[in-house]
Amino acid sequence: MLRIENVTKVYPNGSEGVKNANIHIEKGEFVFFIGSSGSGKSTLIKLLMKELNPTKGRIIINGINTTDMKQSQIPYLRRNLGIVFQDFRLLPNKTVYENVAFAMQVIEAPTRLIRRNVPTVLSLVGLSHKARAYPNQLSGGEQQRTALARAIVNNPPILIADEPTGNLDPDTAWEIMNLLEEINKRGTTVVVATHAKDMVDIMQKRVVALNHGVVVRDVKKGGYDDEA
Amino acid sequence: MRPSTIKYYLKEGFVGLLKNRLMTVASIATVAACIFIVSFSVCVISNLNSMLHQLEDTIGIAVFLEDDLSSDEITALRDNIATIDHVTNVLYISPDEALESIKEDWDAGDLLDGFNGENNPLSHSFEIEIDSIENQNSVLTSLSSLSGVRNIRHAQTETDILLKLNKIVSIIGVVVMALLAVISVVIIMNTIKISVYTRRTEISIMKFVGATDWFIRWPFIIEGIFIGIIGSIIPMIVSMPVYSKSVSVLYSYLPITNIANFLDTYTIFSRLIPISLAAGIALGVMGSVSSIRKYLRV
Repeated sequence: MLRIENVTKVYPNGSEGVKNANIHIEKGEFVFFIGSSGSGKSTLIKLLMKELNPTKGRIIINGINTTDMKQSQIPYLRRNLGIVFQDFRLLPNKTVYENVAFAMQVIEAPTRLIRRNVPTVLSLVGLSHKARAYPNQLSGGEQQRTALARAIVNNPPILIADEPTGNLDPDTAWEIMNLLEEINKRGTTVVVATHAKDMVDIMQKRVVALNHGVVVRDVKKGGYDDEA
Repeated sequence: MRPSTIKYYLKEGFVGLLKNRLMTVASIATVAACIFIVSFSVCVISNLNSMLHQLEDTIGIAVFLEDDLSSDEITALRDNIATIDHVTNVLYISPDEALESIKEDWDAGDLLDGFNGENNPLSHSFEIEIDSIENQNSVLTSLSSLSGVRNIRHAQTETDILLKLNKIVSIIGVVVMALLAVISVVIIMNTIKISVYTRRTEISIMKFVGATDWFIRWPFIIEGIFIGIIGSIIPMIVSMPVYSKSVSVLYSYLPITNIANFLDTYTIFSRLIPISLAAGIALGVMGSVSSIRKYLRV
């Protein structure tokens, strides 16, 4: 489903974001990318989104080598990826419903389908009652749930979350984590970059640990600090 | 393209204009100011050009004939001249008519009465009009080869001056317009760039949910078209009455009606309106498309 093969990313200033990373993720997996700030988690996420291109190696998503992909093909690649950020990135002048519907309009989904799918995902993330609210009327957790709804409304095979709980209090963070697990159980491959130690420890999922751009640990069911 | 997508583009385009009201007004004002300045120079330059052409028309060629030609020969000669390239009109002037016009011009009263009829010393002549003074020399060459022609008179100095003036006005016109066009494009692009900058978050969100570049561009193009249309209609509405008023004021102060006329409002604006509409739309669209390019590279 997702293969990172011998990937190295060197930034123009010479610093190495990722060094010779090899990560294979199967369909339906739930994977944590962990490490402190600057460990290379975010670089890896940006490489997957093709916001950055690897200096060396290749990345294969859903059987497609994205490394030498044409600029015009990138939008179609991203339609396979639901993406959630730490800072939510909602459109402030659109309601919850419109923010979610927006992801479908953008890929030119028929109106009929939009009217059917948006309420479904909103009820999945528990926001049906807030459909008409604007982002600034929502709590952080509700904003992130809106972002999650937007990420999954097009049924992408892969969901990528970059520090999804970074801006949230512990209780709300758990709500989001449980939702991610719920989405994973429905068959979506989920990749979460985080440094939320306690959650990683409790959830016992696959953990890929990074340190200074190097994959230092990759275990099937692990905690944050386990020895390799 | 789905109808719902087109509806989305239109809606987003107009919502964008309303949401960023200040930038919309600024962009429209910029386009309007640029088009106003360009149309002002178009008015001045087209009028100069048209006046020069009117002056050209007053410069004709006079051909004086041998005295012993029969009226048949004169008619044949006239038909001959009429077939020369670039000749647009040949007017026959009899000696009597020539005398009458001299009497009028000189206000000579009965001083010239003795030259009437048999005693008229003037010859038969033709006044020849040509399409453009640039072709005067070739017409002169053809005329001099005709038999029965005694003398040809033309205004070489005036022709040369007019030709030079014409060239200068055309060159200045092209240079001024080109400069103004470049300045306008730069100003408009900057204005629209600011309006796009305020929406870079929106563009980046569209990019990562998988929108194609064209899907992102369309609403901006629609905004550009709208800004262009409004921005070109305003200067037209303003400058049309200003132009006709200026022309009538100039006529009342400058006694030039007998030399040359200004272009009337309809003539000039029937050309200017479609041109400025097209220019306004082109400026708006180019400004929008080039301004978002940077933010599409994500």
